[in-house]
Amino acid sequence: MEESGATMRKWEDLDTDILVQIFQTFDIFELTSGIAHVCSAWRMACCDPLLWKTLDLSALESNFIRIPLEPYVYVHCQSDKEVTRLLKIALDLSRGSIQTLIFHFNLYLSDEQLTYTAERCPLVKRIVMPAWNRIKKTGICRAINMWPHLESMTMPSIANPPYLLEEISKNCKNFSKLKIMGPFDIFFASSLVLYIPKLKVLSLRCSVIFKDALITILDKLQDLEVLNISHCILIEACPSPLLKRVVKEIDPFIMDKANRLREFLVCMNDSCVMCQRARSDEGLMRWYKYEKGLWKSDEARSLAL
Amino acid sequence: MSSSSSSSSPSCPKKMITLKSSDGETFEIEEIAALQSKTLESMIDENCASTPVPLPNITGKILAKVVEYCTKHAEVGADAESLRAWDAEFVSVDHPTLFDYILAANFLEIPTLLNLACQSVADMVKGKTPDEIHKIFNIKSTFTPEEEEELRRENQWAFD
Repeated sequence: MEESGATMRKWEDLDTDILVQIFQTFDIFELTSGIAHVCSAWRMACCDPLLWKTLDLSALESNFIRIPLEPYVYVHCQSDKEVTRLLKIALDLSRGSIQTLIFHFNLYLSDEQLTYTAERCPLVKRIVMPAWNRIKKTGICRAINMWPHLESMTMPSIANPPYLLEEISKNCKNFSKLKIMGPFDIFFASSLVLYIPKLKVLSLRCSVIFKDALITILDKLQDLEVLNISHCILIEACPSPLLKRVVKEIDPFIMDKANRLREFLVCMNDSCVMCQRARSDEGLMRWYKYEKGLWKSDEARSLAL
Repeated sequence: MSSSSSSSSPSCPKKMITLKSSDGETFEIEEIAALQSKTLESMIDENCASTPVPLPNITGKILAKVVEYCTKHAEVGADAESLRAWDAEFVSVDHPTLFDYILAANFLEIPTLLNLACQSVADMVKGKTPDEIHKIFNIKSTFTPEEEEELRRENQWAFD
């Protein structure tokens, strides 16, 4: 190996564009592991907006155990610290360029971590939320408040959506795409109609949906273009409170209402693997049992990862 | 598209252009191979490539390799698998040479070669600590006071 002349190549003087091209293949762990600590020129390249349009932290899950008391999870201290460290470096380098922010649904962020992040991503248009157990309602609202350009959100299902949807309607004028990873009932549907009437894309895949909620959506969200209920368990409430009938196929009444949609994505098929899984998991998908990253798929393209 | 339509017929002479390195060496390259360089392509289009093209930024040693790369990649019928292997072999060089490939590919605007060399550097850098990178690439760690402060904050565990 020729070593003479090695000292004459000035790697720190490489065009920023070339350095950026080199760093474009790095994932978030590689980007934050130290190349920004090499020298001023490399740090500057690490801050290039091209590298920070998306911050994908979906490979990060908390090291946690479930506990019987609120918040129902205990996150291992070291795990928390590492998340903090990663967030600090990534958000420093991103210099506010981030437009898409992706978390894993099993990352149990604290209130403080979410606020810290939201403050540093003012241009965010799309958020895939982490787990909410450790975050207070005020924390969620504070984050939404810092994202006026928000257009798309993927979230867990929550029992009491009005506070959230109201905050979105007040602060996020361009909000149009929503994915809910969990049960969808008439209360959620009515809240959506009340606060986000102009919703364009909705995905409820692989969960439990109540028929009355589905009909409400189809009737009242006039601007809805894409609705995804693939692999869902559709439930019809019966007069007897003990009985809930699982609807086996979409009846013409519903199909008729769905005709105006640009895309009505349905899959209710006994031979479909995803449908079978949703059924055996009773509508609360245990994603950890299946292929890594399976949760990221969505038949509604704009909500897939 | 190049005006040379002779590539399919073996009896017609292939159109060549001549490149001249910084240290005076000359290299012939088929026009069709030269088209991989956007810089050379526009020179050919504007008829500026009939006399040797001077490349004052590129030494003979590197230019020879660049010509080799472009010629290989202009071959028809090469299967993707063996081309990949050839590419991997091509960038198995010491890092000063890799650096020179990058500068040459950038100057001549050869996106495939630039990509290849950058990926190679990326693989070298991934997973290394800043100290290791300093040593390998002989880079001095120089930061402004503001940057030093940022670095110090980033290395703490808590939000501050």
